[in-house]
Amino acid sequence: MSDSDIEFGGENMGMNNIKVNYRKPAYLLILLNVLGFGLLFMSKDYNVNILYNGLAVLILFLIMYTTLVVCHMGDKFILLMTFMLMSIGVLILCRINIKYGFRQIIWIIVGGISFFIAYFIYYKVKIWEKLWFVYFITGVALFMITLLFGKTVNGSKNWVGFGTFAFQPSEIIKIMYIMCLSCYYCGTWSKPVLGKVSPKWVTLGITYVFVGFLVLQRDWGTILVMMSIYLFMVYVYEPDKKLLFTNVAALGIIGCLGYKFLYHIQVRISTWLDPWSDIANKGYQITQSLFAIASGGYFGRGLGNGSPYYIPEVHSDFIFAAICEEMGVFGGVAIILLFFLIAYRCFKISVMTDNLYDKAVSFGVTVMFALQTFIIIGGVTKMIPLTGITLPFVSYGGTSIVISFTSLGIIQAISAKTENKSEVTEHEGK
Amino acid sequence: MKVNKRIIRVLVCISLMFLVLITYLLWFNMFKSKEVSTNSYNKRQWESEQRVIRGSIYSSEQVLLAETEVQGDARIRKYPRRNLYSHIIGYCSQVYGKTQLEMAYDNELVGKGNISLSINEMRKGNNLYLTIIDELQEYAYDRLQGKNGAIVAIEPTTGQILAMVSLPDFDPNKIEDNWSSMMEDEKSPFLARATQGLYPPGSTYKIVTAAGVYDYGMTSEVFEDNGKFQKGDVTVHNYNKESFGTIDIKKAFEVSSNFAFCTLGYEMGAEKVKAEAEKFGVNKSFDFDIPTSESQIQYKRMTDLDAALVSIGQGGLVMSPLHVAMTASAVANGGKMMKPYLVEQVKTANDITIGQTRPSVLYDCIGSTCADYIEDMMIGVVEGGTGKNAQIRGISVAGKTGTAETDSGKDHAWFVGYAPAENPQICVAVVLENDGSSGGSTACPIARDVIRKFLSD
Repeated sequence: MSDSDIEFGGENMGMNNIKVNYRKPAYLLILLNVLGFGLLFMSKDYNVNILYNGLAVLILFLIMYTTLVVCHMGDKFILLMTFMLMSIGVLILCRINIKYGFRQIIWIIVGGISFFIAYFIYYKVKIWEKLWFVYFITGVALFMITLLFGKTVNGSKNWVGFGTFAFQPSEIIKIMYIMCLSCYYCGTWSKPVLGKVSPKWVTLGITYVFVGFLVLQRDWGTILVMMSIYLFMVYVYEPDKKLLFTNVAALGIIGCLGYKFLYHIQVRISTWLDPWSDIANKGYQITQSLFAIASGGYFGRGLGNGSPYYIPEVHSDFIFAAICEEMGVFGGVAIILLFFLIAYRCFKISVMTDNLYDKAVSFGVTVMFALQTFIIIGGVTKMIPLTGITLPFVSYGGTSIVISFTSLGIIQAISAKTENKSEVTEHEGK
Repeated sequence: MKVNKRIIRVLVCISLMFLVLITYLLWFNMFKSKEVSTNSYNKRQWESEQRVIRGSIYSSEQVLLAETEVQGDARIRKYPRRNLYSHIIGYCSQVYGKTQLEMAYDNELVGKGNISLSINEMRKGNNLYLTIIDELQEYAYDRLQGKNGAIVAIEPTTGQILAMVSLPDFDPNKIEDNWSSMMEDEKSPFLARATQGLYPPGSTYKIVTAAGVYDYGMTSEVFEDNGKFQKGDVTVHNYNKESFGTIDIKKAFEVSSNFAFCTLGYEMGAEKVKAEAEKFGVNKSFDFDIPTSESQIQYKRMTDLDAALVSIGQGGLVMSPLHVAMTASAVANGGKMMKPYLVEQVKTANDITIGQTRPSVLYDCIGSTCADYIEDMMIGVVEGGTGKNAQIRGISVAGKTGTAETDSGKDHAWFVGYAPAENPQICVAVVLENDGSSGGSTACPIARDVIRKFLSD
């Protein structure tokens, strides 16, 4: 058995000649799915649909994973870990409402397709670093669409609907923004705009234009993510440290002004500091989330034994609270660690690549994933003020899943470029 | 390469952020989760009750005190005796949570751990049987006549609480309607004065001081009482500024001479006065069915002058009415303080007893000869001293009055006593908060009537 393992999974990893077994980690995921969905099947009155859902996740995983391994499409472990997150997500969604679980699988299929499309387009097309203007215009256009046709959900006007289908343009804008910034920071875009404005100030301007649009939409979570991406980018690439400090100071001032004049921000801060004084109204969401986490204890109340229904938005923003209630704080810690591992692998790709544009894009996307995770988990646990964004790969939501997969496809393409290049050089060396 | 170095630094920074998240999550679970999950707004707490009919509570003579009525999906907790048991049973509200016995015996009332044989049938919780005699409770309640204060009646030989009244009170049936007005009420109706109110015990504390006098061999002392104890910057007058002339300790106890007892406390000194107090359980907390406040001597460093004040139940000394009743009970019970209790039995819905409280000794306070010595003086108080109003024809009553001075200028009136002296069956403590009268004139008759009511039934 072990022989065939090596034959199937063995792969030459660069110069180190380490044989990597790709089959064993897949068994882990299969085990997780069998145990999880089997348990839910038994606790939910033997509803066979649950087993179908679990099976669907597994089949999707096996198809995508095998394709990656067989076609040598870069890093294999990121997809493995995202599927682990997604399996837990689908499991909890099935537990909350089997309809969500089913629809999530549809989204994962769509996401999987867009993963491969994004992979191939990004892999083949070579002119990404010259298109900063396209990204900017697309971003602004999406913002305009949101403002004109958007509808307000939970206080944020960030949904655009066409009939029964609705999506969040801000998810796409984040990617556009990262690609736009990368154009400057990879060095290709050095010509001044309109004759005299240096691209440094143009990117700064774009950042604040986008943030301005987001303020109009009251989408504070995305603002936080976007500003953090900008600051981290400036930290990594800008030799002039003054820009970083000025921006931090400016953000501090804007934050204070916002707190002083914007009711929405005041409410968020005050319910963060003391949600207990108004449990019935303003503090309802966060206190319900804390009740769920506190009731779970270290090992949780058991899958199917909790009461996640009490938490509003439990299938999207608050899914982490439901995981903590039923799988315990240790379950929650496991989720955080999975995200940490994904961030680690992605940063590694970013460090390994020689292409400067790829480096900047993969860095930005990784920071986006990591911060989104930090902001929403910190929010639902009341460590930081709550701002509604989705937990990547776990929360229910079409746009979130599809865009996360697309971003992952880009990272995957970057990783594949590096890997194949090193293989080529190695062969040449021999 | 510089950029790669910085990317790794960002990775470290993000790892730290995740580490903070994990630490916070574990910290929350370790230190906060208990408080959060027992918040009354957490609907999870009520889930187990949705499948169970909460048990009933009965008095010792099987009078129904609390029950749950099922009306469709709704459960209504009813308290037929209304205000009478508000500070014993407390309340049980989905919005405002649970207090007193409803909280302390929550697991028993919802039948947690009971084995159920049928799945679909509504399960019933266990019933509680209290030591309280409903008739005596009602009598004591009426006898307090709406004054702020408390009455505690204990059986000295077992520690059973026979009656326990605190005023002002509230109607637990209407808790959800009146909550906010009661929370803001200056008279604090939610304070269970009998168990959680802390008062200076005044001269009733001379019982404990007398035990010290016996223990330290000072019984033969004689005093020249000129009505005023003066040492340093402390001046204490006798009640009504009387002076009693030449008196021995027995006489001093009967007339409640502050001069004599301040002198005794001063002579004993801080250490011994404190040690004697602790023998009776001051500065210690004890297990009781409902929450109690710890009686205490509130000094950081106690001087001998402080000891003089403590010896007459003033200064930094505060006690709960329940604890005052327990000290007199200890004397009645030959020096052994019994552990007080409210719940006699826990029975299942099918009348199978699953819990029975047995009397146990809480503290071995003093020897039986010392108890006899104090009892002799307490009988003297009622026969010919400040407690004449407690006399009952044909029954020998032992007791001690107290009139505790307060900062507000209105004295608390105290009486604690038990009967019959030769075979104690009931010990009663009465406190009238800021009544402005002397214990002998107002508290004494109330205690006498409660004792007489109990002994005649």
